[in-house]
Amino acid sequence: MDAALRLGAADEAIAVLRETTPFGDASEALLARIAGIARRARYAAGARIYSADDAADDIFVVLSGRAEHVFKPEVGAREALRRVTRGGVFGWAGLLLGQTQRLATVTAIEPTEVLRIDTEALVGLLESEPLEGGHVMERFASMIQREFTLPALLAQVRRLSGPLTEEMSSLSLTLYRLSLWLRSPRPYLMLVGFALFLGFWYLAVEVWKLPRFREMPGLTNVVREWLSPSPTYGLSLYIAEYYQHIAMSVWRVAQGFFLATALGVPVGLLLGWSRSFKEYVFPVFETLRPIPILAWVPLAIVMFIATESAVVYLAFLASFFATALNTMLGVESIDESYVRAANCLGADRWQVFRHVIIPGALPFIFTGLQISIGVSWFSLVAAEMVSGQYGLGYVIWTSYVMVRYPTIVIGMVTLGIVGYVTSALVRIAGDYLMEWRVRELALAER
Amino acid sequence: MTRGHIVIEDVVKVYDPQGAAVMAVDHCTLAIEPGEICMIVGPSGCGKTTLLNAVAGFHEITSGRIIMDGEVLCSPEKPRSTPGPDRIVVFQNGALFPWKTNLDNVIFGPVMQGKLARKEAIDKGRAMLADAGLSGVEHNYPGEVSSGMRRRVEIVRALMNDPKALLLDEPYRALDSLTKSVMHEALLEIYYKNKVTIFFITHDLEEAIFLGHRVAIMTTRPCKPKKILNVDIPHPRDYSALTSKRFRELIEETNDAVHEEAWKAFQAGEKEG
Amino acid sequence: MKKMLSNPALWRGVVSIAVFLVLWEIGARSKQWMAPEFFAPFKEFLGAMGFKKDYLPWIGAVPAPSAVLDSWTAVFVDASYWQSWYMSFFRVMSGFIAAMLIGIPFGLSLAMSRVAHGIGFPVFEVLRPIPPLAWVPASIIFWPTQETAIAFITFLGAFYTIVINVLGGARSIDVRYFQAARSMGSSRWDIFRRVILPGTLPSIVVGSAVGMGITWEVVVAAEMISGGGSQIGGTRGGGLGFFIWLSYVGGSYEQIVVGMISIGIAGFVSSELLRWGGRYATPWLKAR
Repeated sequence: MDAALRLGAADEAIAVLRETTPFGDASEALLARIAGIARRARYAAGARIYSADDAADDIFVVLSGRAEHVFKPEVGAREALRRVTRGGVFGWAGLLLGQTQRLATVTAIEPTEVLRIDTEALVGLLESEPLEGGHVMERFASMIQREFTLPALLAQVRRLSGPLTEEMSSLSLTLYRLSLWLRSPRPYLMLVGFALFLGFWYLAVEVWKLPRFREMPGLTNVVREWLSPSPTYGLSLYIAEYYQHIAMSVWRVAQGFFLATALGVPVGLLLGWSRSFKEYVFPVFETLRPIPILAWVPLAIVMFIATESAVVYLAFLASFFATALNTMLGVESIDESYVRAANCLGADRWQVFRHVIIPGALPFIFTGLQISIGVSWFSLVAAEMVSGQYGLGYVIWTSYVMVRYPTIVIGMVTLGIVGYVTSALVRIAGDYLMEWRVRELALAER
Repeated sequence: MTRGHIVIEDVVKVYDPQGAAVMAVDHCTLAIEPGEICMIVGPSGCGKTTLLNAVAGFHEITSGRIIMDGEVLCSPEKPRSTPGPDRIVVFQNGALFPWKTNLDNVIFGPVMQGKLARKEAIDKGRAMLADAGLSGVEHNYPGEVSSGMRRRVEIVRALMNDPKALLLDEPYRALDSLTKSVMHEALLEIYYKNKVTIFFITHDLEEAIFLGHRVAIMTTRPCKPKKILNVDIPHPRDYSALTSKRFRELIEETNDAVHEEAWKAFQAGEKEG
Repeated sequence: MKKMLSNPALWRGVVSIAVFLVLWEIGARSKQWMAPEFFAPFKEFLGAMGFKKDYLPWIGAVPAPSAVLDSWTAVFVDASYWQSWYMSFFRVMSGFIAAMLIGIPFGLSLAMSRVAHGIGFPVFEVLRPIPPLAWVPASIIFWPTQETAIAFITFLGAFYTIVINVLGGARSIDVRYFQAARSMGSSRWDIFRRVILPGTLPSIVVGSAVGMGITWEVVVAAEMISGGGSQIGGTRGGGLGFFIWLSYVGGSYEQIVVGMISIGIAGFVSSELLRWGGRYATPWLKAR
């Protein structure tokens, strides 16, 4: 007996849809719409719900009871027999590419109540929800492969044809991921973590006054100082000098980093690509690389007349080795088959370099760049501490020397934030250039 | 069509001649007719991939010659043939460029060689993909589609260059049997439309007999043809051929030979190349 | 041995290092051969570009390899030089081992428990961009002795790398190993000991090599900045970083270079030791 859904029953429908794999994390709005097009149906124990090769019109969601789902043998599922109970979804053959007929025979073992959702209507609905729609389809695909053990070739769901879903822009993907994240327990655990850390700092220094912690600048002192329009020790968010120091450090790192990238990437590419170049250059490279960057400080001061260039040189050096090395490893790790395929297809040496080597090495190069910017900051801070005149490292050191302890922490925190932001910028640039990899990794995560 | 006539003449391949001197190919002689599907069957590590690599131009040969359509590909004077679009390889684990979309992959050959302008190449690429039933995935990256689809795109990529021969190195090895049987039918369909010479390496005897005009069974390393079988099941074939009487008879004829070599390889502890 | 000698790659490497040394020598000596008036216009040019006029930029100020070699032979017999080696090595090793003892369990607990990961990882990631050296003043204030202060910084340097590598390693353990273990009836502790620990070991080994490099950087920097434990044994044995700093302050530029090269060698030796230890701990990797 089919019956249209009444208003109160809609809640029950939404509740069971929440328990399913494909619709499990969809929004309330979408679930309500799906409930709106669903119809209920009841089957007695032993009744045949449908047979293989019937027309695949409705998708079924089990509300109560139990049914037996048996694939026909040609389908090649690893486990042909599956029992579905509440929250189980079957009858999705119509969602697969090139499928219009049922792949299985389903029989009710106990009295069973289901929701029937017309396949085409569902697809239309999902197409009108560009972000969520694609996500739901992907979850169908993964359910079909994992829970129903259908081989990958068959388990390919149709691609929704809405204009936005064809190429989900990175921005909308990010926004969607953000909304998913907010609904998970993660942000709250994070708050717990920070609360523990900051709480301990506060208590240890200012309340319990633990032995070694007594001398340390306390959390409230630091925060008050940082946010004060007229800070006791001279630096806060309101003071222009604060931003001058930040700008100085960032400017130095930027110079070092970009120089290192401009020099390091080509050198790394050559090291990976040309064996004779590597044989000539790599020994010298590997001899100089282990020398810690800071061991260069005195020599840099001697070599460079201006302290400024010496500091930039140190930031550059650290970056350079990391970038060149990672680029070289990137080139070397490219699967030989790609180069061979390109050769077969008639590409000459330069074309192979441009179309295979460089894009192939790009993921490694960007990992290297992220490492290199971190290393660059590391060296810069040390260099500034030793011989700088502006900059965050200088701030930290002089604050210590002049017994301005809260400012030390301000400097450290600022360094952390700025360092993180620059590193994230590099990563975003990488994601932008390598959309193919972002998608590949996203699919793998499901 | 008299294109794609490959003659392998008394080829020997020895690795590291001054050192370990491992012989991979032992005086192998084989002639592949133009437009023929020639299957090479042998146990893992026997050297059949080396043979394919020699034809393709990825490895040098130690002695002997390989000739295609009258042109000497490699010989003792020129031990390594130049890879080129007349014999395109389809690789075991797939070599579609992950950083290019499927369509960009497919047009790579003609555009790189300067044979077609980009726009014309795109038109031709779209048509060929549609022909193979792959229209929906033109703008996807290879990483986003199933491995069966990737193989088919790779074959289209090869065919875009109008090659004389396709060299297939166990391309369906990693696929499950249902996907494999669908791939076989897809390959035959493409073959009937294009009639290129196909040089196909596999360890699967059934796959070989189902697809091939002739099947060459190779000895374990160093490899040379042990037995050559003419498969007289008529083309065009479909999956019903798998259960035909003639198919079973052919398997009976050759199974012993294959099994014997497999056993020898097992005892020698051969690893896959 | 014969094979090694006939390897062209080896000769090319030797040639390039030789060329490097020759160029260095010539550049360093530019002070002498640029002396005659003949070079006056060139010197003006250098001056206009903002470089010192008397020698080639950068290289000219650096002591020549020959001078460095002399200095090294002199220092070789000085006991305090070897004491510096010992001090630096000691600090690196202790900081590194401390980082492993704390970092590996920390990383593993983050990897095993989603709750722990949710609580601990964000704080970790927020602290990570702060360079270890920025902690030097805070560390000096906090810890009782200079030695412990330096040890803490060293520990921090390696800690971050090790934790990241442990997390990466744990995440990449093939889920089938877990399934196999569970189907054979392993307890949670067993799975930890026999699947997770060995599974993360390769990443830990790789991470250690990188972490070792960072540790050296930090030790050298800390020694230079904080005076290298000048309370300990006076001006002797403050570690190699301090050795370099002393040489600079004392005006002996050749010794600076000696110190630099020494640290390079020391770093290389410790990395090799680590790699050897790693091979011992993960014998199965070699078979690949």
